[in-house]
Amino acid sequence: MIIDFIQQIFNGLVVGSIYTLIALGLTTIFGILGIAHFAHGSVAMFGGYLAFFLISTLGIGLLPSFILAMACGALLGVVLERVAYYPVRNAPPINSFIIALGLTLIIEKTNLLAFGVDQVIIPTPFNRVFSVGGVTMPELRVYVLLTAAVLVVGMTLLIQRTWIGMAVRAVAQNRSTAALMGINVNSVSMFVFALSSALGVAAGVLIGALFAVAPGVSEGLVVKGFAVLILGGLGSIPGAIVGGMVLGVTEAFAAAFISSGYKDVISFLLMIAVLLVRPEGLMRGKTR
Amino acid sequence: MKKFLTLSIAAAMLAAVPALAAEKTLSVGYSDALSGGGAVYGVPQKKAIDLAIEQINNAGGIKVGADNYKIKTIEYDDKADSTEATNVARKLIDRDGVQFILGYCCSASGGAMASFIGKEDAIVLVGTAGARSITSLGNKNVFRTRPPGDYTGAAAGRFIAEQGVKTLGILSVRDVALFTQYRDALIKAFEGAGGKVVALETFGGHDRDMTAQLTKLRGLNPDALFISGYVEQVAFSHRQAAELGIKVKRFGFSGGSPEQFLKVATNEQMEGVWDLLAVEFNADILGPKAKAFVDAYKKKYGENPTPNTAYAYDQVYVLRDALQAAGTVTDLKKIQDTLRNLPVPKEALLKYLPIDGKMFDGKGQAYISNGAFQWTNGNWKFVAELPSDAVAYSNFLKTVRD
Repeated sequence: MIIDFIQQIFNGLVVGSIYTLIALGLTTIFGILGIAHFAHGSVAMFGGYLAFFLISTLGIGLLPSFILAMACGALLGVVLERVAYYPVRNAPPINSFIIALGLTLIIEKTNLLAFGVDQVIIPTPFNRVFSVGGVTMPELRVYVLLTAAVLVVGMTLLIQRTWIGMAVRAVAQNRSTAALMGINVNSVSMFVFALSSALGVAAGVLIGALFAVAPGVSEGLVVKGFAVLILGGLGSIPGAIVGGMVLGVTEAFAAAFISSGYKDVISFLLMIAVLLVRPEGLMRGKTR
Repeated sequence: MKKFLTLSIAAAMLAAVPALAAEKTLSVGYSDALSGGGAVYGVPQKKAIDLAIEQINNAGGIKVGADNYKIKTIEYDDKADSTEATNVARKLIDRDGVQFILGYCCSASGGAMASFIGKEDAIVLVGTAGARSITSLGNKNVFRTRPPGDYTGAAAGRFIAEQGVKTLGILSVRDVALFTQYRDALIKAFEGAGGKVVALETFGGHDRDMTAQLTKLRGLNPDALFISGYVEQVAFSHRQAAELGIKVKRFGFSGGSPEQFLKVATNEQMEGVWDLLAVEFNADILGPKAKAFVDAYKKKYGENPTPNTAYAYDQVYVLRDALQAAGTVTDLKKIQDTLRNLPVPKEALLKYLPIDGKMFDGKGQAYISNGAFQWTNGNWKFVAELPSDAVAYSNFLKTVRD
């Protein structure tokens, strides 16, 4: 029983780490620009497809492809910000909302045109399974968890310990004051989109390796990403980390101890409960 | 000399007679999942239909009375989705004006079409979609080659019990009629034979992580697992079951090709797994006609046909035979009656079990036998036929409408 319990925590943490990566991008963009960037899931899928293309067609190694895909993701993020969101930065929020929906369709359909309708699985050489006291840990899942952890720590350090990170936090707190303090708000917007899209692409590659990249996957992903945002608190980076893990483990426990038929329902019930009891999210201070 | 000239002219005129038969085009609608989760069945099914049409057209087309019809398809992607399939059927009938529709790999799309098509002026020849309601509703204009899921599920339940399995853990897709009807019939037959189902776990249409459910099943320690759903999800389930160190026998129902499974799971993870399904396309057990089909399919597409391809391939020849026998392409009532009495086309790949000598029973349903296949050295190996009573099932089908 205890082995199964630990096994379910491990299962949940692996999936939760991917939710965290998606949610980190969403929460940063929302925190800085107030945009619900629905296209984030499609950007992640683009990254998964791109990595598959680099590995399978161009024969580039797994790690270089991963890094290259993240770099392309960053570039795509900058383009999206400049072409799609920047022109409506001073317009009513409904404009960026509609643009976000439009972008989702455009990127989703571009993925279909460029990469086809078949699911693709990113090939990896990691087929071993570790067993620790009866808890089985497939090598690939361990690496997914570690990669996500490295990226999350890297992102946290970047935001907390660097000048650009301080600028991002300043813009998140008060955009006008940050501009008055001499921070180039436009550059910060571009940086945030680049960083978020790179993380989204990383999530897409990890999903592609662990499960598959396919049409339709992005919708579920972005819904889960927003669920994490609500759990952790809109715009909160620690909230996205904790929220992702909580959602992943809750889903695993729901399937194991209640019913797999209600797996998704239970995670959304949790979200509703947080909205009712602690609407500011698990990791944000109380709003007044 | 004069006599020779006269004879020559007469011979030339006779030779020219076939050319006088008008060359016409018959537009046939096609609705199938060309993207999304169902595309693993829909795309190969479309390829098989295109191949059959090419073969028929190259052989001169369909001869109806004095006319010769070449088939042309008007195709749409229904994404195996009920709303999309309804829209596609409406477009095909109302806008494109087709009277014959092929395709339907999946229960959601096929079921939605069957719910309203009975009132339309169109004949639908369904391929792989397995939801019982597609034929049990009793539409006069719907004909299907694939037997319903519960026809096979009952035979599978008895087979699992015969393998000495006393306790069974089940992992199955949640909401696809083909699989839920198969599963329910399997549980009934397995428990009827003295077995016990320890847990019924499910997954959703887009899920690819079943570790939580499999961990739970592992903890219950059943004699065997049964896993069913679309091929991608079943392949992920087998991979994750092996990764979780589950060693018990694994039975399943999905109908995927070895290539489709090996994209997700390794040969070692699949070794010994059973697939219990209607004896779909399998070149090793269906003889030389099937081997010729594999060669033609591989030549055209550079890949092996999936097991479900034959359902739709055979339907194109059903259409040809029905139109030729009816002698009309417009009198749908006459074509429907012809279809109801049609013998199995000689080009059909699958071994049908005719009901009263006819390919389709009173509800437009065809039957084939069920079989047990086991993964052995990278391929599905046919092990045994599962005892199945098509006549008894056909009599049962008459009594239900869901």
